[in-house]
Amino acid sequence: MSTSTTWKERLAGKIPADMAEEIDAFETQIHLRKQGKMEEKLFAETRLRRGAYGQRYDNGQRFDGTQTQQLLFPEHETKGPDTFWHAPGMMRIKIPFGGLTAAQMEVLADLAEEYSEEILHITTRQDFQIHFIHIEDTPDLMRRLSAVGITTREACGNSVRNVTACPLSGVCRTETFDVTPYAQAIMSFLLGHPDCQDFGRKFKIAFSGCEHEACGLANMHDMGGVGMVKTVDGVEKRGFKLYVGGGLGAVPHQAQLFNEFVPVEELLPISQAIARVFARLGEKKNRNRARIKFLIAKLGIEEFRRLVHEERAILPEDPQWTAFLDDLTVTDEEQLKPGQPLNGAETSEGFAEWYRTNVYQQRQAGYVVATVALPLGDITSHQLRALADISRRFVKETTRTTVEQNMVLRWVSETDLPQLYDELLALGLAETGAGTIVDITACPGTDTCKLGIASSRGLATELRKQLGEQSAKLDEAIEGLRIKISGCFNSCGQHHAADIGFYGNSRKINGITVPHFQVVLGGQWKENAGSFGLATGAVPSKNIPEVVSRLAKRFVEEREKGELFKDFIGRLGKREIKAMLEDLTQVPSYEENSWYYRDWGDTRGFTMDDLGKGECAGEVVSIGIMEIAAAEREVFEASVALDENELQAAWQGALNAMLRAARTLVKEQFYDVPEEADVVVAEFRTRFYDTELFSPKFANYLFSAHQDPASEFEQTQVHRFIEEAQLFIEGAYTCYYKIAAPLEGAKA
Amino acid sequence: MGLMQELQRINIKMYLEDPEALSAEEAFRVFNSWIPTTPDEVLIDVADYSHVPEGPVTLLVGHEANYSLDNDHAEPGLLYSRKRPAEGDLSARLSSALQAVIKACQRLESEPSLDGKVKFRGGDILLVANDRLNATNDEEGENALRAELEPVLAKLFAGASFAIERDTTSQLRLNLRVRCDTNANAATLLSNLAA
Repeated sequence: MSTSTTWKERLAGKIPADMAEEIDAFETQIHLRKQGKMEEKLFAETRLRRGAYGQRYDNGQRFDGTQTQQLLFPEHETKGPDTFWHAPGMMRIKIPFGGLTAAQMEVLADLAEEYSEEILHITTRQDFQIHFIHIEDTPDLMRRLSAVGITTREACGNSVRNVTACPLSGVCRTETFDVTPYAQAIMSFLLGHPDCQDFGRKFKIAFSGCEHEACGLANMHDMGGVGMVKTVDGVEKRGFKLYVGGGLGAVPHQAQLFNEFVPVEELLPISQAIARVFARLGEKKNRNRARIKFLIAKLGIEEFRRLVHEERAILPEDPQWTAFLDDLTVTDEEQLKPGQPLNGAETSEGFAEWYRTNVYQQRQAGYVVATVALPLGDITSHQLRALADISRRFVKETTRTTVEQNMVLRWVSETDLPQLYDELLALGLAETGAGTIVDITACPGTDTCKLGIASSRGLATELRKQLGEQSAKLDEAIEGLRIKISGCFNSCGQHHAADIGFYGNSRKINGITVPHFQVVLGGQWKENAGSFGLATGAVPSKNIPEVVSRLAKRFVEEREKGELFKDFIGRLGKREIKAMLEDLTQVPSYEENSWYYRDWGDTRGFTMDDLGKGECAGEVVSIGIMEIAAAEREVFEASVALDENELQAAWQGALNAMLRAARTLVKEQFYDVPEEADVVVAEFRTRFYDTELFSPKFANYLFSAHQDPASEFEQTQVHRFIEEAQLFIEGAYTCYYKIAAPLEGAKA
Repeated sequence: MGLMQELQRINIKMYLEDPEALSAEEAFRVFNSWIPTTPDEVLIDVADYSHVPEGPVTLLVGHEANYSLDNDHAEPGLLYSRKRPAEGDLSARLSSALQAVIKACQRLESEPSLDGKVKFRGGDILLVANDRLNATNDEEGENALRAELEPVLAKLFAGASFAIERDTTSQLRLNLRVRCDTNANAATLLSNLAA
């Protein structure tokens, strides 16, 4: 029986002193905020930097299918602007490069039971998330994690987020070298580093050992390192091909090459110098332009590089820069058993398929990596605890999480696979299809995220079900495709880098909001997220499975030998794709088929509160909506022009689309607005930007392009500009919905 | 003994007579309908976890407590998980947690859209002390909890005999499975508790 009355007491001496101090300080801040002695915005950023995030409905409001209801929390304190103190929140837990010990898994399982409801979620950054946590439980949760070497520090907020790496690092057949110790070193070095505390936005780092696999997805990170070896004076030297300024988000940016070869001795100081330049020159006021990708786009890579080297030259020497190089074995793994082949042992039903899709042959003979595929990235506390036990008995606790929301067991002796499979099967952890089209990635979306527009998890569940039923019949060409889904345009589901990506949005039909997904095609997961897809049109959520079905069918029937999906999409052309999906964009009226008006996995109407507000409103709305839809078409035309390498036309088309949508909005208030762009932009600024009726982030896309029109046209820039135009259109829809109803009321 | 008195996080599960009687979809729909129609507690949202086996299939998230159609050990039932501190001593808190879960079972049993097919076993209850700090899963912990629980159970089952069993697996939370040879329905159990 325990004799400690608190976890702080129980774990005294087991938590590193600096961490213990920080957690104590955070607990004090919780008390201060509760007593009203700490400003709510300051507290919000404080808790975010400790990994304590807000969750959907924490503003105390929830739409119940007919109307928005108030959630009557007992007290009215807040833990941030519009965030009730007692509202459940999410805890993000950093797992550097995804590496986990058995003891860590057991503690995570305990926490999910005691502070949540037995579910743990693996994110697209190899983190764990536990939902429905009360803010007052977070200090103990952090202490218990810290006692097994896990921190939640800087898991959220404007900080260096979890450092990710390829889950095959160290056992991969094609890697240059194991990047794990470098990922570990940079994580330790930058965690809480003074030069990383004044960022305008978050900063994400990833490491890859291979250039041509998906690996660490270096191209979509603020900073990505790809392991390289160079011979200098006859001596082989390790280093990194370093990329900067990549990122997904609303408008994806491909990373730019900072340096072909940064020697490992320079990895930490160069990273520190980059952090300093970002902190000093990065945008702070406008959060929507504050990621380092915008700074690099503004400065240009050459100037950015010059500034970083200038900064590097004046950095005070720090022994930490190279200390880690003295022991690069710190993250090395040991084998529990000798590696032996399968040897034709008898296997259970289903084993062969699981072996085909979930097992990777390590470069070390006789050893394999077994992937535990987790639907939607979720695992129960019981499963995780049992997996910890397995990781002790089959391997030497060599387990990692993956950015595809799965877990892997490394160093499994191949001969043990039949028994391992049986044990995983008994736990419900032997799902097949890892890394295939059924292994769909989805962000939390409307289930728990405050920003979610449509149900990414609901759609993923449905697609997984439908594709799973056909899996035995799936053509080989289809099987290897990646589907990734985000609940909104913010790309947490990494939809831009998928063969077939979706992000949630909505459209109004006769005044009723219908959940939709934007279809994003042509991205590439391999080559470290080698290319990003482009939006091809919004389709009602309920028709998305048919979109996948049609695309798959066309690909199987029409692809050329060895042709990649992204190349097939390019060859097909957006016009043809648009035509192929055109009928799927249609939504029957609510009276005809109300099914379209509910999201996947939800029984509530999507926006039932608008039902019955009048078809008159729908008619008035429809005039403007038609115009905005026309503008959306212009964006599509621009993307076709881009495909045809007509870069200037593509750029101009995207700008015209934004101007058209802006004029449509202005026209709602100033009917005779002239068509001159200068007037439209000025009126739009006064009426919608200054009044904050329109998303400032999206409005700035128009202002920038209008004020500083492009004179030279480059493929990547035009691609990005088209993405911006699409988002501007999304903003126009949202704004129009906001202003149309009051106007209609005024007319009545 | 002293630490057991600190126990606030009390989980109680009651089992479905027919394991197939309540689907995840039905639970999702019904739990959603409870959110705006339950004035005496704050219910927030419903989460679907039917894609993970033997977990909280459908979770109704609340402020004071969560409810879920739970399928741990492939034995479906309604799990009540108290989260926020409740009033009274441990005995009172155990009693109020039992009352809450039985009321929820009764509500499901009488839910018109479920056509009366949902019935819970009145004499089969799992209690989990969801707090590894104050309630360890060992003999001492069991004795401390039993001392508080048994008088409450005697009242609940109106003096009928019952058996208590603990799963001693060390990593589990302190848990007591209570079995009583009774066919008492929810109304009777609630009435017994209130007596």
